[in-house]
Amino acid sequence: MQVTIMFMSGVDDGRSLHFESEMDGQFVHDEWTIRMGRENDNDVVLRDRFTSRHHARLLWKQNSWWLEDQKSTNGTFVENDDDFFNDTRVQLLPMQEGQLFRVGRTWLRIEVSGPL
Amino acid sequence: MSDFSRDSLSDFVRDVMIVARQEAHRMRHYYIGVEHLFIGLLEIKGGITTSLLADEGLLIEYVIDAIRRRTSKGSRDRLWPDLPNTPRAKIIMDIAQELAFEEGRKNIQERDLLMAILEENDNIPMRVLNALGVQMAQFRENARTRQVKRGVTGTFTKVNIAATFEGDLDTDQMFILRRMFYGYAEVRVETRLTRGFSSAVVLIATPIHADQQADASVVVKIGPSDAIQEEAIRYDRYVKNTLPPLTARLEDRPIAPDNSNYAALKYTLLTDMQGHSVDLGMVMNEWTALELGNWLYDQLYRTFGYRWWKQSRRYVFEAWKEYEWLLPPALTLQYIDTPDNAPPPAGTVIIKPGKRPKLEEVEYGAVVQVANYIVQKVDPDKGTIWLALGDGMNTPRACEIEVTSIDFSQDTYFRGEAVEKIYGRVWRTRHERLLDAVRALEADFDLKGEMISVGAHRLPNPLKAYTLMLEQPIEGALSIIHGDLHPGNILIGPNQSALLIDFAHTRSGHTLYDWANLEVTLLADIFTKNIQPDWNSVREVFEHIYAAYNGHSLRETDTIEAHAIQQLVESLRRIVRDCVSSPGKLSEFYIGVFFCSMRAVTWENTLPLAGRRLLFLLAALAAEQFRDEVKPDSRDKSSNATATDQTRSGEG
Repeated sequence: MQVTIMFMSGVDDGRSLHFESEMDGQFVHDEWTIRMGRENDNDVVLRDRFTSRHHARLLWKQNSWWLEDQKSTNGTFVENDDDFFNDTRVQLLPMQEGQLFRVGRTWLRIEVSGPL
Repeated sequence: MSDFSRDSLSDFVRDVMIVARQEAHRMRHYYIGVEHLFIGLLEIKGGITTSLLADEGLLIEYVIDAIRRRTSKGSRDRLWPDLPNTPRAKIIMDIAQELAFEEGRKNIQERDLLMAILEENDNIPMRVLNALGVQMAQFRENARTRQVKRGVTGTFTKVNIAATFEGDLDTDQMFILRRMFYGYAEVRVETRLTRGFSSAVVLIATPIHADQQADASVVVKIGPSDAIQEEAIRYDRYVKNTLPPLTARLEDRPIAPDNSNYAALKYTLLTDMQGHSVDLGMVMNEWTALELGNWLYDQLYRTFGYRWWKQSRRYVFEAWKEYEWLLPPALTLQYIDTPDNAPPPAGTVIIKPGKRPKLEEVEYGAVVQVANYIVQKVDPDKGTIWLALGDGMNTPRACEIEVTSIDFSQDTYFRGEAVEKIYGRVWRTRHERLLDAVRALEADFDLKGEMISVGAHRLPNPLKAYTLMLEQPIEGALSIIHGDLHPGNILIGPNQSALLIDFAHTRSGHTLYDWANLEVTLLADIFTKNIQPDWNSVREVFEHIYAAYNGHSLRETDTIEAHAIQQLVESLRRIVRDCVSSPGKLSEFYIGVFFCSMRAVTWENTLPLAGRRLLFLLAALAAEQFRDEVKPDSRDKSSNATATDQTRSGEG
């Protein structure tokens, strides 16, 4: 499975980062994690002062991608269907393919491709 | 843009680039992204982009603020040097360059840049336009074909003001009417509806074709453009799908010319009969109180109630959450410019969102730090912004703080922005403002104590009571509410049907707020219109309200006013009793009456003295009723008043 994280705002708007997971027979390894934050040891490094050092992560579990906030200062959000300008704060949430989410003040999008 | 030589850009796009850089700096973004390019396209007047948005009824400033809200302002700390272009901005400039080449040109023109942003379609401005309801396919087609700046063509719509119309329209308002009825030969302005307390003008107009055929009359509201824009959005969100079949509807987008601070909306009246509508304010003097009360119940409450007020859910809240915004700003601060990472000056009062701060305790001259409050309103001319808890759209604003002396050439603020941190020195407090408003009433009774003496009654002093009232926990009801229910916004259509207009404050909120506001405005409008403003005349009216609130029965010897007040209060109570969350408990209603009355006391310019005096007393009465109900044992304390009433009955 391939996962692309696309920056949707900020100084890196339009940049894509690609991640790939080894297949093990029919299954992708469980516990696949994409870490996001301001520190350089993250998989997705954000140039955003409103992002915490280790801000949030995307987890592959039970055949689904989950977005999890790591007790960040400024929060992790997804779009709110009822109100474009009031984003919904997230602790842990399953993600849809192509869904936008916000880490600090930077919007990102998850795109999944390839066989599961 | 560094990747493009100046020669590759038309003059127009060169200007766009300059504005884009300024915007990036103002927003402390330190990069050039698609959002800055698009704002560049919007800020230069007379282009294709601004004219397309005007066609959509979208105000340029509103779109710019919406884009800013989506991106948020950056920090003063820079994490990289220079002003790089984002990868997406680079892609868009490449597309624009290609579009220019296809046309056989070397330089990029406005349309190339706009089409590139539309084609890429995955960027922030496109998401925002989409969220604002723009039909993107049609918009793209218009962008492709729109000619730059059409001259004034077509027929000139004549504005004909009927003899019965009171007052004038200024040139801006005439201009907007012509734009709104473009294509008609004439528009006849029939009547001006009773003014609410906003600066908007509401009128009934009839559009007429070249062959003298008249179309159905409509209600036109012309007002400050940001308020009009917000009304259209609220209509879409709360009102559109909750209206009865025969009603007033917004069919079109607002008219928002890019060279005017005004915008306008048009309510089409869907009624089953011919004839003009009038607002409630215009018939109030012709109807008896009983007729009025019955009409409110049978027509207004029953028609709209089904989807609105009767859809009540349980709602537990502290009074300030729903009502604090009716009071003047809690604090006015003089802005202090402080670097981002500087520690707060010693003794700073830090105000954080979430829990309600005790702003009443903040002292004059103190330095205050406000964190993560939301900008409600911006006035660059006055150098002032208004901050509050809550965004004003889903939740009413509370704990409003006014910040003055801001240098807008150094800093930008926009509506909806969450301000990370701002410092200021207190130079005016809410208490001071309320005190000024009450002093203007020139009370002939003592205002210093916890209680005031009104005739024979001892009532809580609203000036002392309001802080505690704000903190009251309320077990109430929640539903869609109109948000500004007063006689000027309630129309009587043909066949005596009820129509509502003006949805600028419509939201999901405390159900009883609408009925408290209507009761307060009706009592002040009807019963202080024809009296002298002296305290004795006001107290006479108040006595009747006092009797009605306490359920005292009247006798034939009582005046017509006494009967009228009782009838009106009683018929509104039928509705109120139907809406309260716990049967028979009206405390949630009294809280609304208290704050609606207190707000009106501060309307020195719009409400005559007699009305303000009466409502100050009504606030005191509402506070008393609230206390009595919340603490039944406190009855003993007010035995004073009860005894007086018995005396009064005995006298007759």
